[in-house]
Amino acid sequence: MAFKQLVAATMLGLAVMPAQAALNVFACEPEWADLARALVPDADIHTATSAQQDPHYIEARPSLIAAMRRADIAVCTGASLEAGWLPALISRASNRDVQPGKPGLFFTAEQVSLHQPHDHVDRSMGDVHPEGDPHIHLDPDRLPVVVDALADRLVALAPSDENAIRLRQRQWQVRWKLDTARWRQAADNLGGLSVAVQHSTFGYLLRWLSVESAIDLEPKPGLPPSASHLSDVLSDPALARVKLILIATYQDERPARWLANQTQLPIEVLPGTVNDQPETDSLAELIDHLIDRLAHHQKAADHG
Amino acid sequence: MKRFSMGASAVALATLPFNALQANELNPDVSVILDGYYKQNATALSHRGQGFGLGHTELSLSSPIDNLFEGRLTAVLEDHEGETELELEEAFLQTTGMPYNLSVRGGRFLSQVGYLNSRHLHEDDFVERPAVYRALLGSHYFDDGLRLNLLLPVPFYWQIGAEAFDGGRLSEGDEDIGVYTVNTRVGGDLTRSHSWQAGFSYLNNRQIQGGHGDDHDDHDHGDHDHGGHSHGAGYTGENLYITDLVWKWAPDGNNRQQQLTLSGEYLYADNLNEHATSDDVHEGWYASAVYQFAPQWSVGTRYGQVELKEAHGDHFHDQELKETDVMLAWSHSHFSTVRLQYTHQDADGFDQADNTVILQYVMSFGAHGAHGF
Repeated sequence: MAFKQLVAATMLGLAVMPAQAALNVFACEPEWADLARALVPDADIHTATSAQQDPHYIEARPSLIAAMRRADIAVCTGASLEAGWLPALISRASNRDVQPGKPGLFFTAEQVSLHQPHDHVDRSMGDVHPEGDPHIHLDPDRLPVVVDALADRLVALAPSDENAIRLRQRQWQVRWKLDTARWRQAADNLGGLSVAVQHSTFGYLLRWLSVESAIDLEPKPGLPPSASHLSDVLSDPALARVKLILIATYQDERPARWLANQTQLPIEVLPGTVNDQPETDSLAELIDHLIDRLAHHQKAADHG
Repeated sequence: MKRFSMGASAVALATLPFNALQANELNPDVSVILDGYYKQNATALSHRGQGFGLGHTELSLSSPIDNLFEGRLTAVLEDHEGETELELEEAFLQTTGMPYNLSVRGGRFLSQVGYLNSRHLHEDDFVERPAVYRALLGSHYFDDGLRLNLLLPVPFYWQIGAEAFDGGRLSEGDEDIGVYTVNTRVGGDLTRSHSWQAGFSYLNNRQIQGGHGDDHDDHDHGDHDHGGHSHGAGYTGENLYITDLVWKWAPDGNNRQQQLTLSGEYLYADNLNEHATSDDVHEGWYASAVYQFAPQWSVGTRYGQVELKEAHGDHFHDQELKETDVMLAWSHSHFSTVRLQYTHQDADGFDQADNTVILQYVMSFGAHGAHGF
């Protein structure tokens, strides 16, 4: 199919001119590509980053500038998550539709309230975002708000597709409501589980599930785990409650392995966002998968 | 950690800090770069003297101006033999609302010739720019002028640009528009892990062409300039050609963990002045490899050489400088870097060539800098 070839070429950074009618979407992270695909499946969607990449540290590469040049809308997280690269990308692409304040630049974190906003931040606190924790993409309660706002924005950009977009928006909301009910049940069995994490990548989902992030391997947000911090972790009384070390696929596994060796705790390396594996290639499936893995370890810990 | 009652906390979080944030957003982004060093020995064609010193201390303000323009102001404080100089390195506006991916920049800014020139010095992986840049572009050429950039509507990245500058910061002369440049840049990703960019630039220095009677006097002083006051290029020619190539590798494109950067440029300048024959040219190149092997650590090596013609009245003296650098850098966070570098110089026609160890820090606070390619 010509369209599939287009998408494949885009993924390789060798993207081709989009068909005249299709909306061209630049998704900063794969989770927003997933939402865009749910609402406008015919759009030409370019995903700038993958689950293997730390979204804080992307470079404004030539391929990304070329993709941004063509975009009708960029769907990004905001809240300073992409502060290191998105402004440079927007400036170099000189796309007048994708500029701050224009409908073509959509920030998902601006649609919802964020966890832990700060009146005062300085860098001695680490890479803390004043707006709050931007990793909202696994929050079952916040995503429906994002989808409604994104649908409104897409309708504004492509009014002729309004009926189709609204229909898919309702379908998505119904599916999500059913999924959420299922996750709520699963959460009942997870209450009381404590995990060690690295960064707040899974933070919103863990809070929703009432799973405690008792330990963070990062000494400060955004700083890689250091030897001295890891030795502090070993003597942290909270470690006694921890049943699992949970890190994301883009992170260095060595600090988690070291801690696991010291404590005999199991490690889970899970995708921080949607990837191309069949069990995690949409947000709903990813959340299913994450809850499955957490439940597995909860059960193992109960039996152990 | 507390378990949140979602609804109540959401309401509280939404209302409380919002006003403070909004007020802040009207302030421009401010960033300050602190750059200091200790250098064991003086070296040839260097902007950094022996002993303790400050490098490129920078204060930068940037902000959208309205929905059509954005602007940036960068002031640089540099210390030269006990005197502190304040210099405006950038003071420009750029359009954000032009059709066809056009952008216009006006004011004072860094020329986009070559790969390194448009980058700020503090983004570099080595303490100083390659010798050929220090000789032909005064490390980084910036001037008052106008730029037009266009991204071509092709599936890959292809940018073309043209600039016109006053030219007074490259060499002295009477032309109103002393320097023209044209440049083009292409690039893309080969796979998820490999990306590249190639560029070609041409710079026309109209103030060099024969007929400006007293030009050679300035060139006589050229050699003294780079030790002292001037930031202009010590060596110029009417035509300057630059080709550059950059290739980067990061497993799965995750440059946070690991990244290898290979880059190189070749510079060639001819028509040096009215006495120059076709054999009298400046020519140089460098190649650099930098491997960031952990989030906080990188090592790098760079070799560069430049062959120059030093003007003496109606004839030229040959000069040559070969330079090898090895460096180790530690970046505790994204905002702090400490670098240890060893530089070996091998020279012909330079008095000050030497080997040296340099310890440098580059620290930034304020707005988050951009991760360019």
